[in-house]
Amino acid sequence: MSLNRPLSPHLSIHKKVLTAVFSIFHRFTGICLSLGAILLSVWIILIALGPDYYSKFQSLSSLIFFKIFLFLWTLTIFYHLYNGIRYLFWSYGKMMELSTVYKSGYVVIILSIISTMLVWISI
Amino acid sequence: MKNYASKWIMQRLTAVILIPLTFWFVYQCVLLSSYEYDQIKSFFFSKINASLFFVLIIAMLYHAKLGNETIVEDYVTSVNLKKITKLSISVLTYSSMILTTISLFYIVSS
Repeated sequence: MSLNRPLSPHLSIHKKVLTAVFSIFHRFTGICLSLGAILLSVWIILIALGPDYYSKFQSLSSLIFFKIFLFLWTLTIFYHLYNGIRYLFWSYGKMMELSTVYKSGYVVIILSIISTMLVWISI
Repeated sequence: MKNYASKWIMQRLTAVILIPLTFWFVYQCVLLSSYEYDQIKSFFFSKINASLFFVLIIAMLYHAKLGNETIVEDYVTSVNLKKITKLSISVLTYSSMILTTISLFYIVSS
C-alpha cells in the first residue's frame, strides 16, 4: 500500500473557490501585518533611543527596496482592512448571499488597489 | 478550552477600533518614513497624534495576537509545538506592547 496516496480533503483536485482563496489570503496578510506591527514597535523604540539610533533606520528607509516594501505593506493592510470589514458584516449574518459574497470580494480587491494608489499619489 | 467567545468578541472589537485608525495611520506612516528625526519628534509632540498612535499600536498588537493564535489552533496539531508557538506569540506581543508604551511616553515627555 502506497503511503504517497493523496489525503482527504484532496485539496489538489478541487477547483480553487474564490471564498477559500480570500480566507487564506486574509490569514496570510494577517501574519505579514503582525510582523509589520512588530517592526512598527522597533521603529518607535529607535525614535526613543535618539537620532544616532534612528539614523540606522534612515539608512535603510532611503533605499528603493524599502519603498517597495512600504508599497506592498499599504496594499496588504488595505486588503486586510476591506476584507476584514466584509467579515464583520458576515459576523452579523449580513451580506451572505452567494452573489453578494462574490461581488463584495471583487469590491475588496478594487478598493484595496484604489486606496493604495491614492495614498502614494497624494504623497 | 476557555473563553473562546470573549476572544471572538475581542478580535472584532479591536478590528472596529482599527478601521478608522488604519486609514489615518497608513497615510501618516508613508509620510513619516521619509521625515527627518526632528520632524518625527514634532509629530509625536502632538498629544492627539501620540494618543492615536498609542491606541493603534496596542489594538494592532492585540488583534495580531488573537489572529495568530487562531491560525495556530487551526493548523498546528502537535500539542507541544502548539504550546511553544502560543507562548512565543504572547512573549512577542507583550514585550512589544511594554517597550512601545515606554518608548512613546519617553518621546512625548522628552
